[in-house]
Amino acid sequence: MKHGRYPFVLSFLALPVGLYTWLVVLPFAQAFQISLTDWSGSSNSFNYIGFDNYVNLFKDERLVLPALRHTGIILVVLPVVTIALGLFFAFMLNLGGRMRQGRIEGVRGARFHKVVYFFPQVLSVAIVGILWKQVYAPENFGGLITGALTAVGLPAPVNGFLSDKRFVLAAVIAVLVWSAVGFYMVFFSSAMASIPRDLYEAAIIDGSGRIQMFFKITLPLLWDSVQTAWIYLSIIALDVFVLIYMMTPERGGPDAASEVVGGVIWKYAFNHGEQAFASALGVVLFFAALTLAVVSLRFGRRERIEF
Amino acid sequence: MTNPTADRHPIFTRRNLFGATAAGLAATSLGACATSGGDDDAEEVTVGGDAENPFEVDGSAPLDVVIFDGGFGNEYALAHQEIYNRSFPDAEIEHLATQAIAETQQPRFAEGKPCDVLDNSGAQQIPMDSLVSDGELAELTPLLDAPSYDDPEVTVRDTLRDGVLSMGTFNGKVYALNYVFSAWTVWYDAKLFRDKGWTPPETWEEMLALCPTIQAEGIAPWTYAGQHPVYLYDLFLILAGRHGGVDVVKAIDHLEPDAWRHESVVKAAEALAGLHTAGYILEGTPGIDHIQSQTAFNERRAAFLPCGSWLPNEQKGIAPDDFEYAPIGVPYLEGSVQPGLISAGGEEPFVIPKNASNLAGAYEYLRIMLSQEGAQVFGDTVQAATVVKGVELDNPAAKMTDALVSNPDDLFQPRFRFWYTKMNEEVRPALGALLSGDATPEEFIDRMQTAADETAADDTIEKFRHED
Repeated sequence: MKHGRYPFVLSFLALPVGLYTWLVVLPFAQAFQISLTDWSGSSNSFNYIGFDNYVNLFKDERLVLPALRHTGIILVVLPVVTIALGLFFAFMLNLGGRMRQGRIEGVRGARFHKVVYFFPQVLSVAIVGILWKQVYAPENFGGLITGALTAVGLPAPVNGFLSDKRFVLAAVIAVLVWSAVGFYMVFFSSAMASIPRDLYEAAIIDGSGRIQMFFKITLPLLWDSVQTAWIYLSIIALDVFVLIYMMTPERGGPDAASEVVGGVIWKYAFNHGEQAFASALGVVLFFAALTLAVVSLRFGRRERIEF
Repeated sequence: MTNPTADRHPIFTRRNLFGATAAGLAATSLGACATSGGDDDAEEVTVGGDAENPFEVDGSAPLDVVIFDGGFGNEYALAHQEIYNRSFPDAEIEHLATQAIAETQQPRFAEGKPCDVLDNSGAQQIPMDSLVSDGELAELTPLLDAPSYDDPEVTVRDTLRDGVLSMGTFNGKVYALNYVFSAWTVWYDAKLFRDKGWTPPETWEEMLALCPTIQAEGIAPWTYAGQHPVYLYDLFLILAGRHGGVDVVKAIDHLEPDAWRHESVVKAAEALAGLHTAGYILEGTPGIDHIQSQTAFNERRAAFLPCGSWLPNEQKGIAPDDFEYAPIGVPYLEGSVQPGLISAGGEEPFVIPKNASNLAGAYEYLRIMLSQEGAQVFGDTVQAATVVKGVELDNPAAKMTDALVSNPDDLFQPRFRFWYTKMNEEVRPALGALLSGDATPEEFIDRMQTAADETAADDTIEKFRHED
């Protein structure tokens, strides 16, 4: 029996592995090949130019370097803020309320809040982009936030948030957080639901407060979920392309103040006709993502607690 | 004359598969995917003696046409294809109307199997500079030298308006037929001006003098598409060119040293920045897109809007019924030596890929587009002028624009943003910053001169020149 097992197993694997190789591995490998050429993207001839594209990447002050900086900022801010808010909301919804007959519950209307917070997750990114573009518009053109700020006598950017170099990146990150936080709240909520209540009740009897409960019980027991959330959010952070494309002036403006790596790849590939250069940036992004996943899985590893 | 469909080299010859893959065996299979080998043996079309069918089109060969489905739609193209089928009833025409030109067509170029006729337009156009430098386009001289569709005694070239080929000319060779004739002007509402008793200004000073009067009515003098500062490109360059003459802007296009530091260019930059300093721009303008600025203009919240000559048509049905779109040239600065200069010529580039499978058919299709009937069909469907002479349009804005572009010596299209993608990416934000007050005129000039010097010094960028 053992004899015939490998062909049998292989026959199952051949198709998926073949498809994966053809549709995923080969294009990646080809992106690497292309990145060593001067291919424009609209021709079938090219020359190999070695690693010139990679060298030039880090000389491009106009698009690539700002994009790397901005993607770096998003990579740090987005997961931290989203996870912090997600945990906070989940904790409040599950354990933030008063004790009733010896049991702790979430705040009033927890189920209603859950639906409301989750709502942005249901909207497509394109709709989110259009919606917030209007919210951030100049006051003179119906912007909600600028209008509200002026109404209460606070200063607001006269040309709206998205056309102001100081605010545009923060404005985009805020939208990302807004649309992601609901999902992670639900995600953490369900993880919290699996933590036995007696742990909390014991803690209360021992006289611990809510904050202590959160840091001593909830967070350690949710570590796996937080780690997963971190990786997902990092992947989102590496590709903010759609929102930038939809919302910001000149798709990354004003004046490169919101360029991100994904958007710059697109610009080089399709606006500049420099596919090879775009591929080089793509390869860099690929390795960055890979490193990120490996690092966060390695360093995030902790002892698992059985309960 | 060669037969365009006969024995063309297949893409996957052994030479191509093995030749193009210096990266070794592993890359050999990759070579077949996106970057298959080169096909250098493209056919050429010559003009034969038959005036009815000068390119000797094979009537049974299919024709593959890709149309940018933007402001002009694609109805007119279907009409052109009908005319084509009238001569060649057996030809099957593949018609694709799309806005995603680069996304759908770039891979076909890369594969060596492009379409036959491509309307390479819109925000997603394939960059012309890279198509030309890669040698992917067929030269259009055979088309221009061919007898015209309507009169065999007149060549196609002679049926065109003056100066319309320059936009598609790259170092003396015509690679694109820019089919639509348009001009960049400043628009105002003739009814508003009549009602208030304002005279449309001729000079910059008249315009500045009128601004306080306009403001007194609660109307902002100017607005523009702040998120797309490219709408200011022609306004700015023509303002400079009117002051110092066309050579000033030509020097900029030719990346000459210190071209941006020319007195006229500096004056134009200072004049535009002055609009911001004086508060003559509708508040919030740097933060709005072209639709918002046009809406504000239609609502008479601003008196002047810089835009192209397609605007009145586009706004038909959107603007109030009593809104009268009327154009003026850029108000010229004091001491201008060429106050009639205007950015006008062909736009909407139609190209023929060099590796097209039905080259002769593609040339014939363009010849049909340039016939009186073809041009009239376009004019009737979209109310815009083509580059063909003698087609009358029945709307007042078009007639007023015609008066502005009547002197052929004054027609000039600034080209550097089409020739050099990097200059394009620099001039847009730079102009935006200049008019929003984020940059001073000196900073603006320095920035553009630096970008021009860098482009000029970069040997990897192919350089282009105007014909003299």
